[in-house]
Amino acid sequence: MIKVSGLNAFYGQFHVLKDVSMTVEKNGVVVVLGPNGHGKSTLLKSICGLAERITGNILLNDTELTGLSSEKIVDLGVTYIAETRELFPNMTVLENLKLGAYCRRARPFEAENLEKVFDLFPRLADRKSQTASTMSGGEAKMLAIARGLMSNADFLAIDEPSLGLQPNLRTEVFNTIKTINEQGMTILLVEQNIPRIAELASHIYVLEEGKITFEGSKDDAVSNDHLKEIFLGM
Amino acid sequence: MFDENTILVFYEITDIIIAGLSNGSVYALMAIGMTLVYGVTKAFNFAYGDFFNMGGYFAWILIVGIGLEFGGYITVFLIVLPLLFAVGYGLETFMIAPLRKRPDWENRVMMLTLGLALFLSNLYMVLFGSRLKSLPPILEGILEIGQIVFSYQDIMIFVMSLGGILLFGWMLNNTRTGMAVRAVAQNPEGAKIVGINIKRIFASTFAISTVMVGFGGILLSQKMFINPTSGGAIMIKAWVITAFGGMGSIRGGLYAAFIIGMMEAFVGWIFGMSYTIIALFVLLLATLIIRPQGLMGKGA
Repeated sequence: MIKVSGLNAFYGQFHVLKDVSMTVEKNGVVVVLGPNGHGKSTLLKSICGLAERITGNILLNDTELTGLSSEKIVDLGVTYIAETRELFPNMTVLENLKLGAYCRRARPFEAENLEKVFDLFPRLADRKSQTASTMSGGEAKMLAIARGLMSNADFLAIDEPSLGLQPNLRTEVFNTIKTINEQGMTILLVEQNIPRIAELASHIYVLEEGKITFEGSKDDAVSNDHLKEIFLGM
Repeated sequence: MFDENTILVFYEITDIIIAGLSNGSVYALMAIGMTLVYGVTKAFNFAYGDFFNMGGYFAWILIVGIGLEFGGYITVFLIVLPLLFAVGYGLETFMIAPLRKRPDWENRVMMLTLGLALFLSNLYMVLFGSRLKSLPPILEGILEIGQIVFSYQDIMIFVMSLGGILLFGWMLNNTRTGMAVRAVAQNPEGAKIVGINIKRIFASTFAISTVMVGFGGILLSQKMFINPTSGGAIMIKAWVITAFGGMGSIRGGLYAAFIIGMMEAFVGWIFGMSYTIIALFVLLLATLIIRPQGLMGKGA
């Protein structure tokens, strides 16, 4: 379980997150919605130790994550999957995946997780020795998710998994997220749009201008007029 | 078949090729060390040549200064190389890393290492005097194949620096830390995401580069003198080789080093040693005009 309370994040002069509090229950899928540039990525990065400067509390079960370095947080089982993918461009798919298992916690399970990941993404298994920079956008996205899974995490923070994907790949990614959640992964993901992803959500937050402006179940979200207006244009 | 003069010229050319190969192999070591630090940490080290001399002086202290005889150069390497690693690691951790938090840290690092270069060359002057020092050959004697004569020293220098490079290349591709070094060079943010401690990788990279150039210093100081103030010239030579090969490209550095080693040997033979530095700069100018990214560089 992750419990964020009173989180403030700063990027240079900018105060990006303002007193954000939220909870992600074990095994849940929490979706944070919000327009572009309102702090969604910063929220995920703050949890994973990748933000520039933060104050407040982020508890992973009983461990305080604020102030820990990203490598310590990965070792505790919390992994960030970037919207920008952040792959190693001149390395092969296999090397990228192996580096996903760099942290101490993942090393003993490298072979096992590699097999799991290739089961989830058979296409990556076919392209093991392809250089990452030559992959299409959709494949690169899958590789980024697969690399995140290699860390043997039990909490994934996924940044806009559907962004820039064509509809059939989007479905594939959502199905994968559903599968890994059913296998026991706790997931916090951020998206710009409601529709597809809401099916997965056990809880929804809306982040606008760095503040939480809505919190509730997916039924609450779908029936909320304000949300309809900003995300569906209704 | 050939007259005597032709045969003499042939032997001379063979000698020059051997000298070019042995110098070139040390240059390769130096260029790879420099390109590594630039590729991974994006920092430029002006004191690079002074670490070359540091290797030479550490070895001189052990061999000549305290007259160490046990194990010869093996003992020297076992003591000096870890020492150089520690110096490089400490320098990155305590002096360069704190500067990285600032936006214009590249300039600050340049100023820092420039100051360090001045400090070290003057420190060497105070400690060892301005008289040049030399190291005994790692192995005495010559190997004769027909009429061609190889000195064991040249062979050893060639074998050891090439061995060092091959070992380094193997580690880069086959060890977990080597993979992490490449990962940080390609995408530092991605490296953080997978849980690589990039500060530690920066420090290790800087340390390995210090070891490489210092190792080169121990090898080459057997053929040339250790000069307390030569650090700047050595740094420039390493930099020219690196730029010629392409900043950040290890393979490019390797080719460039042998090309320049050979070029120096032949220019020295034809025009005299004082022309080698001119040839070096002509080559640098030509590179910058014709192919600014270097032999194997990827461009801006």
